[in-house]
Amino acid sequence: MGQLYEEQYVWRMPVRVYHWINALCVTILFITGLYIAAPVLSPSVGEAVWYHKMAWFRYIHFATAFVFIANFLFRLYWALFGEDKYGRFAGFKPWSPIWWGQPFKDQLRAYFFLKKEEPNYCGHNPVAALTHFLFIFCGSWFMVLTGLAMYGENNPGGFTDSLFGWVVLIFGSSQSMHTMHHLVAWVFPVYLILHIYAVVRHDIVDRSSVTSSIVTGYKHKVEECPEYAD
Amino acid sequence: MKKETTYQELLEARGVNRRDFLKFCSLMSVYLGFSSAFVPRIVRAMDTKPRIPVIWLHGLECTCCSESFIRSSHPIAADIVLNMISLDYDDTLSAAAGHQLEAIRKQIMKDYKGEYILAVEGNAPTKDDGVYCMVNGDSFTNMLKETAADAMAVIAWGSCASFGCVQNAKPNPTGATPIHKIIKDKPIVNVPGCPPIAEVMSGVITHLLTFGKLPELDRLKRPKAFYGTRIHDKCYRRPYFDAGMFVENFDDEGAKKGWCLYKMGCKGPTTFNSCSTVKWNEGTSYPIQAGYPCLGCSEPGFWDNGPFYTRLADVAFLGTNTNADKIGMVAVGAAAAGMAAHAVGTAIQKNNLKDETAKKEEG
Repeated sequence: MGQLYEEQYVWRMPVRVYHWINALCVTILFITGLYIAAPVLSPSVGEAVWYHKMAWFRYIHFATAFVFIANFLFRLYWALFGEDKYGRFAGFKPWSPIWWGQPFKDQLRAYFFLKKEEPNYCGHNPVAALTHFLFIFCGSWFMVLTGLAMYGENNPGGFTDSLFGWVVLIFGSSQSMHTMHHLVAWVFPVYLILHIYAVVRHDIVDRSSVTSSIVTGYKHKVEECPEYAD
Repeated sequence: MKKETTYQELLEARGVNRRDFLKFCSLMSVYLGFSSAFVPRIVRAMDTKPRIPVIWLHGLECTCCSESFIRSSHPIAADIVLNMISLDYDDTLSAAAGHQLEAIRKQIMKDYKGEYILAVEGNAPTKDDGVYCMVNGDSFTNMLKETAADAMAVIAWGSCASFGCVQNAKPNPTGATPIHKIIKDKPIVNVPGCPPIAEVMSGVITHLLTFGKLPELDRLKRPKAFYGTRIHDKCYRRPYFDAGMFVENFDDEGAKKGWCLYKMGCKGPTTFNSCSTVKWNEGTSYPIQAGYPCLGCSEPGFWDNGPFYTRLADVAFLGTNTNADKIGMVAVGAAAAGMAAHAVGTAIQKNNLKDETAKKEEG
């Protein structure tokens, strides 16, 4: 367990801004998305042309999706070219057996209570990095590609369809793609639970103020800070 | 067997006057999405070009495509098509049968090598050497390959030939395979639908005749002119969709008033076809207009995207038939339970550590 020494600036402004825009977008997208699949509000009274209830939910979903995409692309840029020690991809090498070595195993064993002393990282620990890769990186790409493919369907041969329409061929039909978009959307609430729990738990166990660090950017430096980026 | 009659000669012989003939040409031009400038080209093609020989094969199918085809709203369309087929080869509509009919097929393949159109209704079972569909003592798969070898182009009529339809729905016991996965070296046009709209079928033939090539196709090899928009985008009930006024039951007020059928499982938003524009039975109606949700019959794998009357499709998952929301909620529940258990574990571990530290201090 680490001991408090000094403040350490971990999450730089671009990472924090990305985090909160992303959190907001995912929340809006998930709620509006569920509504589009199952419009539960009771119908309005009057002529159909007076109302745009369903149209608004779809509009908000699409508009938020574009903010989400822009934010996601910005984060990718930052991860590749940002020269940010804790926000870059450089340390994450799942194709290399070395990456799956002792630090990863130690962290995993600690999470499964097989190891008493928990390693402590300034940035993401290897298990956290893998989780983010699977849920956020892969999950976001999946939702963005299927989402844009569906968005282009109102105008086959148009701009969006020309760029992303091929995605539908992976799923066979548009309906299957819709189903998978809906299914994979659930990755985000599952991730949210894991994420919130892990953060709060680390804060209690390590006392490194990881929870507030995504607002302030500062964690507290702990006794041993292994040089293991990401 | 060689014939050089043009469509116009044929129609004259059958007593169709010039006025009706021109009306047919204009209609086809509209369906194909051409400007009026193209009407003379269609007229000229019909006037002068010899009829394209067509061999029409039937594989695993229900003949609903043929049934639709012979009911083209415009009488001349039916005439053209029927004559063309009955004079060449179609095992359902031909007068001849048995060896005589097979001889005709062989003759056409010889006389019009590389010039005839192969129209296929239904698909081929590939499992167990194709024994699930036998024609004239041989498997349909072999017959299809043999006939396609010398064809100019292949038209896959209907969802069976295009995508597989009901016979290749899971678990696909006969290994039913759509045409484009068997015939790889010929230009293929898919004309899906269960059945396809009659006017769409005659439209494809008219295009072939006028321009001597297949119409412009989309990613799934469907003619863009007919499969270029979703039913949803040209549906006359679309305002109810946007307003959020949905039918909740087949016998509720919304159903009576003709509201949107989205919540009744309408697949209009994911189905590319001309039902909401060309319509059926001489432009009388189409499923949604009759108060019935679109089943998406012209989409690949539509049988596996059921049930028909719910928006959310069933997903086969770990041997159960569930849906995306149920899987998602179970996953969320499992994550919450897992984290709760982990929290207990963490508390116990922390307590143990505290005890150990206390013991050390005592010792």
